[in-house]
Amino acid sequence: MLLVGKALAAGDSGDQFATYRAMLEQDNPGQFWVDDGKKLFHEPRGPKHVSLEGCDFGAGPGVLKGAYARMPRYFKDANAVQTLEGRILWCSEKLQGIKPMELLKPHYVNAAEEDSREDKLTALTAYVAAQSNGMPYDPPMDHAQEKYVYALGKYTFFRRMGKMDLSCADCHGVPGRTIRGVELPIMTDPETAGRVMAAFPAYVLKDSNVRTFWWRNERCLLAMRLPWLMTGSEIDAALTLFQAIEAKKSKIPIKVPGIKPRA
Amino acid sequence: MKTTLAAALVTAACLGLQTARAEETQKVDIPSIPGLPKITEQDFTKAIHKSFYVNNPHEWGRFFDPTLQTCDATHDQPSAKQAQEILNREQKSIVYPKGGKLMGDWRLGEKWAEGVHGGRIGYPGFADADDPKKPNEANCYACHAMSPSFPQAGNIGPSLTDYGKLRGTSEAIVKYTYDKIYNSKSFNPCSLMPRYGGPKHLLTPEQVADLTAYLLDPQSPVNNGGNKTAQAK
Repeated sequence: MLLVGKALAAGDSGDQFATYRAMLEQDNPGQFWVDDGKKLFHEPRGPKHVSLEGCDFGAGPGVLKGAYARMPRYFKDANAVQTLEGRILWCSEKLQGIKPMELLKPHYVNAAEEDSREDKLTALTAYVAAQSNGMPYDPPMDHAQEKYVYALGKYTFFRRMGKMDLSCADCHGVPGRTIRGVELPIMTDPETAGRVMAAFPAYVLKDSNVRTFWWRNERCLLAMRLPWLMTGSEIDAALTLFQAIEAKKSKIPIKVPGIKPRA
Repeated sequence: MKTTLAAALVTAACLGLQTARAEETQKVDIPSIPGLPKITEQDFTKAIHKSFYVNNPHEWGRFFDPTLQTCDATHDQPSAKQAQEILNREQKSIVYPKGGKLMGDWRLGEKWAEGVHGGRIGYPGFADADDPKKPNEANCYACHAMSPSFPQAGNIGPSLTDYGKLRGTSEAIVKYTYDKIYNSKSFNPCSLMPRYGGPKHLLTPEQVADLTAYLLDPQSPVNNGGNKTAQAK
């Protein structure tokens, strides 16, 4: 079995689903989420009946091109380092008057369901992220809070915790390890981090659903038997920024929606 | 102490092998970024309280453990004094089943070894939470090859196929196996293996005994080439 595992680990060549994934890359069902997100983004919504077009994602209000590639980053108005999901939640509340839980409840329920399109936050995230297609991750890391949140992400990534006594790095920082026969992406390896992060928000085959990078972080923390990670929270931003800086080194361009890589 | 050292060496040897094997294809490369602040446990504690949803305050305990704190602080290389403190504390935590039978039912052990249920809180009222009324399981196959008839094994821990066939079922082996599953840190202070026994973790003493039997019973598929019906002669 270890030999078979090794063959799989050597590349996608031994992966029986590789062809299927490659086919979906060409005609990714995740595009439906991007289209939904586009509609949701530009239509007036919420108690204040305005669109999200006034939201500043870092390059100025309404500028979406390349914004996701430069996140997570510090936003002065929020005085926080925010992920894209976190920023959308913030703008939805400030501009449209939509309470975060209104978007988060379906987002959280969706994390467990296999085919839910009720989750507006994922659709919005997929749409804004897709406007960075072709660009590699390049979060600024200039502001003191950005450095703090990155350092917090690194600290969290290597900290052992939860009922399983594991750190993120125990599975995703040591090459060659498999869990239940599944190869694990090494997120401290720039090429792997680049390949994985470039796909998110990604279409996840086994779920027939699009997942944001928050989901990626949350699934691991759930498996570590830790409490529920809140989308856009400081630890979410910290873990995402830590991995985005790894991805940055690879210079792999963002391609959203991707197909979640096997590893 | 001798057993402890031996166990630590075996673990180190296994990990060393795996790292060497994998570095052929992947490297670990964390950029050094100048001017990063030093993060303290206080910073981390503050951050998690802002970041996780917890419906019962005692669940914050899942983030904190004195043994893991020492292991993290020393990069899994505690001083001799720290190691002894950990071993003492963890050895004391081990509880045996009522009646003292350390070999339970291997068929139940198989269920605990294969199953993945247990310990997930999820979002309150949310489908991903594990049902606390159902028994927890151990997901041993996540890391260990055990019965050859269960092919989806992980490789983070050593293969346990033929575990009992190779070791027999002497009292010392039975107790070592039980203790190792119940609390791996009672042998190797910063063992990568989760501690399984006790209320802070997933399994009851009876379940640990079932897993001990799954590893050691001559009729278990672990010791029978994966054959569940084979009779030991």
